[in-house]
Amino acid sequence: MSAPTTTGVRGGFRLEGVHKVYGTGEAAVHALRDINLEIPPGELVAVLGASGSGKTTLLNVIGGIESADSGSIEVAGVRISHRRPSSLGRFRRDHVGFVFQFFNLIPSLTAAENVAVMIELTGRGDRRDVPRLLDAVGLSDRAGHFPAQLSGGQQQRVSIARALATDPDLLLADEPTGALDVATGRTVLELLQDTSRAGRGVVMVTHNEVVSTIADRVVRTSDGRITSVTRNDSPADAAAIRW
Amino acid sequence: MPVTSRRVMHRKVLRDLRRRLPQAAAIALTTLLGVLLFVASYDSFRNLSVSYQQTYERLHFADLTADGGDPASIAQAVRDADGVARVSVRTQADVPMTIAGTKLVGRVSGLAPDERQRVDDIDLVSGSMPDHTQPREVVLEKHAADTFGLGAGSAVRVFDGESWHELRVTGVARSPEYLWPARDRQDVLSDPHSFAVLFVPQDNAAALTGSPGPNETLVEMSGQATTDERDQVAGLLRSAGALHVQPRADQASNAALHEDLAGFSEMSVAFPALFLTAAAIAEYVLLTRLVRAERPVIGTLLAMGARRGAIVRHYTWYGVVIAGVGSLAGVLLGALGTSAVTIAYTSALHIPDTVVDHRVLTAVVGFALGVGIGLLGALAPAITAVTTAPAEAMRGDGSRTVRAGAVARLSTRWTAVPVTVRMAVRSLVRSPRRTAATMTGTVLALVLMLASAGMITSMVHLLDVQFGEVDRTDATLQVDPGATDVGERLRATPGVAAVEPGMLAPAVVAAGDKSYDTVLAGMEPDTTMHGFRTPGGAYRDLPSEGILAGDALVGELGIEAGDTVTVTPASGSPTQVRVAGFVHEPLGTYLYATDETAGSIAPLHAVSYALRFSDTVSEDRMRATISSIPGVLSYTDTRALLRQADQYLALFWVFVGVMLGLGAVLAFTVIYVTMTVNFAERSTELATLRAAGVPIRRLTTALAAENLAATVLALPVGLAAGAVAAWAFLRSFSNDMFSLDLSLGWVPLTLAAVSVVAAAALSQLPAARLLRRIDIARIVRERAQ
Repeated sequence: MSAPTTTGVRGGFRLEGVHKVYGTGEAAVHALRDINLEIPPGELVAVLGASGSGKTTLLNVIGGIESADSGSIEVAGVRISHRRPSSLGRFRRDHVGFVFQFFNLIPSLTAAENVAVMIELTGRGDRRDVPRLLDAVGLSDRAGHFPAQLSGGQQQRVSIARALATDPDLLLADEPTGALDVATGRTVLELLQDTSRAGRGVVMVTHNEVVSTIADRVVRTSDGRITSVTRNDSPADAAAIRW
Repeated sequence: MPVTSRRVMHRKVLRDLRRRLPQAAAIALTTLLGVLLFVASYDSFRNLSVSYQQTYERLHFADLTADGGDPASIAQAVRDADGVARVSVRTQADVPMTIAGTKLVGRVSGLAPDERQRVDDIDLVSGSMPDHTQPREVVLEKHAADTFGLGAGSAVRVFDGESWHELRVTGVARSPEYLWPARDRQDVLSDPHSFAVLFVPQDNAAALTGSPGPNETLVEMSGQATTDERDQVAGLLRSAGALHVQPRADQASNAALHEDLAGFSEMSVAFPALFLTAAAIAEYVLLTRLVRAERPVIGTLLAMGARRGAIVRHYTWYGVVIAGVGSLAGVLLGALGTSAVTIAYTSALHIPDTVVDHRVLTAVVGFALGVGIGLLGALAPAITAVTTAPAEAMRGDGSRTVRAGAVARLSTRWTAVPVTVRMAVRSLVRSPRRTAATMTGTVLALVLMLASAGMITSMVHLLDVQFGEVDRTDATLQVDPGATDVGERLRATPGVAAVEPGMLAPAVVAAGDKSYDTVLAGMEPDTTMHGFRTPGGAYRDLPSEGILAGDALVGELGIEAGDTVTVTPASGSPTQVRVAGFVHEPLGTYLYATDETAGSIAPLHAVSYALRFSDTVSEDRMRATISSIPGVLSYTDTRALLRQADQYLALFWVFVGVMLGLGAVLAFTVIYVTMTVNFAERSTELATLRAAGVPIRRLTTALAAENLAATVLALPVGLAAGAVAAWAFLRSFSNDMFSLDLSLGWVPLTLAAVSVVAAAALSQLPAARLLRRIDIARIVRERAQ
């Protein structure tokens, strides 16, 4: 099992003075406060923090599905700050892929079709790559299975294959192991690590310290602020970690 | 005041409905339309029945009208019979007239001298009653007065068989016998310039028509008389010498109006039922979704000991609130509709009495029906809510596990087919009940549209057949039997393309103890003026022996081809004659024979001519030219008759247009609700695709394809069901006066299908809006709610 190959190193991003507030007045919640972060291309970044620390909001702002109230955001060479999420469809289509905690597969489509539908609907990628993508996530023999016939880990692997189908520069994963047991979670992490090693940027949100050890860089958040950014020169091998 | 759990739950109902306001409003609107149609059509039906009844009672409309025999002795025989309120005799005859320069065969009807004993009285609307001591004074029936623009002081001319008499119109009146201006059951639809009724004091009527005395006996039964008593009186009339006894139900005007009432009566049940069923389905779909989304909450409440009954009541409240609002508005608007419909109808038909009554019972039943249907639609999901084990419900996430069915498994092999198409196919089996709901909504809408459209297309077809294939004349004349050169003069008239002589004789046809009042028409053996259309739809020739009869007589008299019947002309003696076959004609139930056979049955008959014109003639000029030929007694313009029919049809077109619109609303409601529920259940999938940058246009198209698939699949079923409903609706109108065969054609079928698909497509617009407004960030963080 190995991540799809890619050409070159890509998927870097830079955030400067980013703020994000939900609600107003006394009910206002500061999800992001003065975020400054620069990540070079091809790195696997773990965003670590407790619930409500702003890590998912950070991921969504990078992916362009939420807008920041202020600050500057540049992802894969594209400046997306000050643009509404509704106008960022093309950006997301061309540059980012998402993996969610609860997989969000279409239950009426098979594994292969869940991957193919993304290519069909975005016009990016090649349908002939679907078997290769499924093979890369170790699911060649489950291509014709529906989500209800797959385990949680298998479903998450399909969602990774789906996210990679459009050949994004940056893969954004929100608690990708949150709904999985250790063994299947580890398989998913191996895939993410392989994806990064193949030259694609990966940002993974987690609240699990052990999981963050596989990252090249660990970003810690608390109360909407980045409290530390740590470079990890010898990331753990995903296949070897336990939690 | 303490906050009770009931109050909290009621607050939850209101808040939940506010969140689903468009869907709740759509369902409430459909309920409103159902209740409105029920209240307005049922109360209008009752109001019109009462309006007619009031007119009939006030003017002493005859319950029984007997022809023939000695009216004086017949009247004597029934005067003291049980249930009889009034008996009178009169002279009534159809005679040539000239009114405002138009020649026609009109009717002179005698008015009994004693008003207190008069049956079939008249309602003077202008002028005064004629003085019975003045032989030249008459009252003109209102329809004729309107057609010819006459009033008190005008003059009309009547031919008594020997000479013309000029008469003075003293007034204009309405009569219970001519609320619908029909000469007889064979002429329910007629050229308004070819018929008029003059009311004349009885003694003068006899003189004017050349009759020796009264020829009809009229009987009014008391309001308390039973059906048995009425039948006994009818029997007494026959045994006293009456040739034919016509009950009020068979009287031409009353029968025609009754057909309309029957339509109202059927509409008051059938159409509301369609709307209320649609509302119940939409409500079921909406609440099923709500209950499914709230399963974990329901499981938690049950686990903590909440009573199942309380939860069922809570979810049925949604249905009651939505349906209650719709029903209340429906009752109120229905009351307004009742007044409008009743007044418009009685004004259009010049019904003398208009009774507008709003019945509390109708309102209560309408409200109860609307709320009951809402309750029913909500009950099944509410019961489902509490039948799941609490632990299982709590594990639920609001969406069901989708297991691959046979269709889904089969379609995985369609690798050449785009995935979005496969999605659309699978969405049909993904939620079979929702698919069934969409399809049922489509079918109901098509039934509503086609039942209404079928009525008018079949009427148009009826007219096409009647005036294109059966009656092939442009005009028909009655002429003085003594005038010998009329035929030659007609043939010599410029613009006349074909002329055929014929004969007409009012007659009674009887078999066993059943009889039927009709007209015997004699024509040339190889006539080209009339097409004899068999019940199978083919055309045949006149038989050289025997008669052809309208096929309604099979039911009226219980006869079949080859049987012998007795035909008694109005002036003549009974003749036994063989029924050679039947004809199936859109209008009327006639007897047809060759002129030779008909002449032998009715030696004393009216002489007629059938004419066909060249294409370029002016109808008015032909009427004027031909009417001026000496010996021509009446002129009936076939095309005027057609124009008259077209005028009535204009109202039907409005009705059909309204029904097409309402059908579209019905389809929209059900499809809109199922579509939004589909959208809600799939919001996570859609948000995921949006997050990945799939363009909204592509998603909208894919979603629309899914939602429209069920609608399109239901079209064949809906079109077939609509055609069957239209057929059943028409059958209830078919009798001896009208024979309505279903004729839909491709245009209405296509229009109905397009309307429903358009409504379905329109219901995708809110989906597209929802898709644009989708909060991707929120949804992809949560599981679908």
